[in-house]
Amino acid sequence: MDAGRHPLIEVITNAEITGCEGGPGDFTVTVRKNPRYVGDDCVACGLCVDHCPQVGGNEFDMGLKARKAIYRPFPQSVPATYVIDSDACLNFMPHLDERQKRRLDKMAKFKRKIDPNYPPNILVCGHCSDACDVDAIDFDQMPEEISLDVGSILVAVGFQEFDARVLGAYGYGRLPNVVTSLELERMLNASGVTGGHVVRPSDLETPKRIVFIQCVGARGEGGRPYCSRFCCMNAVKDSMLIRQHDPVVEEITILYTDLRAFGKGFDDFVTRSKEAASAEYVRGRPAKVWHDPADDTLQVFVEDTRGHEQRRIPADLVVLSVAAAPNEGAVELAEIFGIETDAHGFIARRDPAVSAVETSREGVFVCGSAVGPQVIPDCVAQASATASRAQLYLTGHRHEEKAEPVEPMDLSGPPRVGVMVCHCGVNIAGVLDVEQLAADAAELTDVVVTSTDLFACSSTGQDELMETIKEHRLNRIVVAACTPRTHEPVFRETLARIGFNPFLLEMVNIRDQCSWVHAGTPEAAQNKARALIRMGVARARHLEPLQEGAAAMTRSALVIGGGIAGIQAATDLAVQGFPVTLVEKSNRLGGRLAEPNLMLLYPTMRPASEVLADKLRRLDASGARILLETEVENITGFVGSFEATLKGAVDEVLPVGAVILAVGADLHDPGAAFRFGELPNVVTSADLERRFVNGDDLGLGAEAPKSAAFVLCVGSREPKGFTGCSRYCCPTAIKQAMELNRRGIDTTVFYRDIRTISTGAEEMYREARGRGVLFVRVPPGHTPEIVGNGRAEAVRCYDELLDRRLEVPADLVVLSVGMRPRQPETDHFHEMLKASVGLDGFFLERHPELAPVETAVEGVLLAGTVQGPKDIVDSVAQASAAAAKAAVFLAHDQVRLDPAVAVVDPEICRGCGDCVEICQFHAPALSETAPGVFAAEINASLCKGCGTCASWCPSGAIAARHFTDRQVLAQIDAFFDEARP
Amino acid sequence: MTQQVSPSAKNAATSPTVFDPRIVVFACNWCSYAGADTAGVSRIQHQPHFRMIRVMCSGRIQPAFVFRAFEKGADGVLVSGCHFGDCHYIFGNERAVEQFAKTMNVVKLLGIEEGRLRLEWISAAEGGRFAEVINEFTDQVRALGPSPFAAEDAIAEIEAPEGGGCQHSDADSDSDAGGGGH
Repeated sequence: MDAGRHPLIEVITNAEITGCEGGPGDFTVTVRKNPRYVGDDCVACGLCVDHCPQVGGNEFDMGLKARKAIYRPFPQSVPATYVIDSDACLNFMPHLDERQKRRLDKMAKFKRKIDPNYPPNILVCGHCSDACDVDAIDFDQMPEEISLDVGSILVAVGFQEFDARVLGAYGYGRLPNVVTSLELERMLNASGVTGGHVVRPSDLETPKRIVFIQCVGARGEGGRPYCSRFCCMNAVKDSMLIRQHDPVVEEITILYTDLRAFGKGFDDFVTRSKEAASAEYVRGRPAKVWHDPADDTLQVFVEDTRGHEQRRIPADLVVLSVAAAPNEGAVELAEIFGIETDAHGFIARRDPAVSAVETSREGVFVCGSAVGPQVIPDCVAQASATASRAQLYLTGHRHEEKAEPVEPMDLSGPPRVGVMVCHCGVNIAGVLDVEQLAADAAELTDVVVTSTDLFACSSTGQDELMETIKEHRLNRIVVAACTPRTHEPVFRETLARIGFNPFLLEMVNIRDQCSWVHAGTPEAAQNKARALIRMGVARARHLEPLQEGAAAMTRSALVIGGGIAGIQAATDLAVQGFPVTLVEKSNRLGGRLAEPNLMLLYPTMRPASEVLADKLRRLDASGARILLETEVENITGFVGSFEATLKGAVDEVLPVGAVILAVGADLHDPGAAFRFGELPNVVTSADLERRFVNGDDLGLGAEAPKSAAFVLCVGSREPKGFTGCSRYCCPTAIKQAMELNRRGIDTTVFYRDIRTISTGAEEMYREARGRGVLFVRVPPGHTPEIVGNGRAEAVRCYDELLDRRLEVPADLVVLSVGMRPRQPETDHFHEMLKASVGLDGFFLERHPELAPVETAVEGVLLAGTVQGPKDIVDSVAQASAAAAKAAVFLAHDQVRLDPAVAVVDPEICRGCGDCVEICQFHAPALSETAPGVFAAEINASLCKGCGTCASWCPSGAIAARHFTDRQVLAQIDAFFDEARP
Repeated sequence: MTQQVSPSAKNAATSPTVFDPRIVVFACNWCSYAGADTAGVSRIQHQPHFRMIRVMCSGRIQPAFVFRAFEKGADGVLVSGCHFGDCHYIFGNERAVEQFAKTMNVVKLLGIEEGRLRLEWISAAEGGRFAEVINEFTDQVRALGPSPFAAEDAIAEIEAPEGGGCQHSDADSDSDAGGGGH
């Protein structure tokens, strides 16, 4: 919706790319807009749907539900217009069978016989165009080719579901009660096909026993070697939702291979699910699903690899967690753009190890699941990252806002309210008596004039509104029409054009929340609408004009930390022309990528030094100011005007508009665990990498090892400690194990779940197994034990899959250590910037899915592992995303401030500080107004206008503008002004 | 007293009136209000006896708003916001929970039945759920009858279908309504 409304975003839907010429900075892309047969006049009233006689399958509900031939794909679709499915519509003859065609021909001939002037090309149905009040239906629309001149191209074509019918043994498509995870998702949606209830498609009964089968079409099945990343968490989530919603469901079983809860907070979620016993987790891949005709149940045959038995699990419903497959048109699209695809048909990244969003061609970028399956937080970070990179080719085209100043109207004096009631065609007028509503409104206090309009939002309606305001010298407007959530911006814009303060408008929702939902009880609906208008007028009488404020924006940024994330963020901002200062505490850039830390990057095995050199070259060229051996001693201020005190190479106070935190993470110190420190040949994974770089023979005081063992999850997924997954360690350990294996060292990996979720990592895991690296699964509660006297000689542990203890020789033991929040930096910056820290100790993003790089503090952004463990490519994506978000601020020389925020009356405030404590955005602060007297003050730059502090304030000193106590109370009172009908 | 009985008797003569409660719904802009809109777009019909008041965040819904509604004669008040973790303002809805607990305590103290006040989380996509909640809550409040604070016209009205028990309930409500006015 935000994108659809944005003045600088043009959304072209129902279209495909047909050609692309030119190069970076100057592409010409041809687009074929397919006809939707509904014009732009459509007001999304939905009358056509009621009149359409033809039914097709609803794609959005995975075909579980029907829709008409004219339809809106889903309620929140952008654009909010309807579309005719030419495959289902009666007006498009080709799909009709011969008998139907003959019938229609006959009918037409008959009509022509009785009316010689009957047009030869009759519309065979046309119910929708008859029903449409605004004549939006246009059957003559043709595909239209347009060409666009663009600087950069972002590809975000996503994925499609793997077709589970390929795996015949699971019976999808043959057995009605075998559904896919997406079909289940539509059922679980409260506004979906079954209103949130899970049902068996065969008889619509609630299933008692549900079995989830994971990895359907992924990790080797159906020819797709990669992991789909999101299915594990999705199954866990669904199992919890079903439990909460339908107590009838007795058993839920999840059949999995590895539980890949790799994201931030995912492991905690799984733990909660296990505590709530929402599902039984069985490790195993079923051989088949068998339908028992006797009682119409399903039987899932599976080898339980932890319980070591063959099981036959009865089920009423089987859910297949289907893999993500590349989009069908992706390869074709890639050919048009001249970019490469990978072996599976996904769009290929330039270098899967470090290029988060680059494709093989300059100026063409990719994000989300178009490169392979992704979870939402990663998709969103990548999307912002592409936006950042795309800027590279748009220099000189930055949009500067040109606002023409309008003379504000004089709106002073006692309220003179104008009420405009909209028919919205028959959407409102079909249920409510609009003229009567206007007449009733005319009786209300301070109402000067009332009017009605067929479509208030149309241009004529808007013109009339402006005329009425001028004619009657109105200073308050009440529009009774549709929801303010979509149309308030439209009316506000109109009002602003004539200098009428847009905050003196009140919208009353008598369509979406009245005529549409109370059509069956028109009398009660009329009462409701009358009451809502009365309440709206009461509120309008108390509305206050508010002036949009502005604060100065220092158009430069500070990036703290010179690791790969900091380098990327600084480069991205600097190439866009913003002054950037990159501060690094140590004497070199590169962080963990710099020698002697990393040798080769998985999965491409490119030397880290080469990658880093490339990144540093770009940083140098970008013109960012780099300060080595410098620390940030203090930061004060807020978005637009931070002041950072730098000490070290320089000694200065630097004013900046935005701050990007990229201080990275620490590695876990194993302490004395696994006899680390005691035995010389027990090392950490970081230490091993360093020895690889230095060409060490790995002997560690003895001759080169013949055998080695890796212990995974050291310092990760610990019930008492860091409970999360560190993400990078599984692929890193496998990469290192393969290197040892290459040197002829027998290698064993002790793991809990193998979480090879990054691009190419699952394939690498498969290759390692093929080369003879042994993998031993260790169940929770067991820890590998290091055996040896003075030196590690072997590792002893219980193997869950073999169900016995085993001892493998190990002349070298490698501990794969997890990540930790970096201290004392985290505390230091947390204290100064007030950005929140999560329970795990890492900086907390504002929203895990919607705002993964922003903090609750405006203008403070997170890049890389400072927000949680991740590998290089994900850190790079985050860094670019942070740069993009910073650029949003830096693009303007002022920050526009919403005036509908909270304000403190210092006369009433007694300085208790409660508001300071509850505000997540740190907008209120106490200041000393007189010696010993404190009062709160709310910083309008930081306030988001939620109004919580106004409710919380014990002395009533805070007013939430535009939602003041007086305004809300007047609304409540007005409801009861009229006696019960 | 006589004034009250006569309109109700008239009602009973023409059509037996079912008591329609007057319910105030407070909704946050981002989730619950949007959820009600979604119900509209999907044409999910529900009972029409509530009036919606939109605020930006459920955290804005202070006890005084709820008290005022009851004071003026609301038979039920529904407070709704985003699901936990979905709040547009991060933790506004958690503040709403705390405020709601305080409000509920006072409401109970005032002798208003617990069932007249409810807190619900409804997301922007949950149009169906919004309708469900409204129907369920309306029925619940209807079963409770008019609020003890409700104005006199309401009390007169429900007598008709109640039949024998009306005398008692009328006396009760009347005295309470009187008390509420002071």
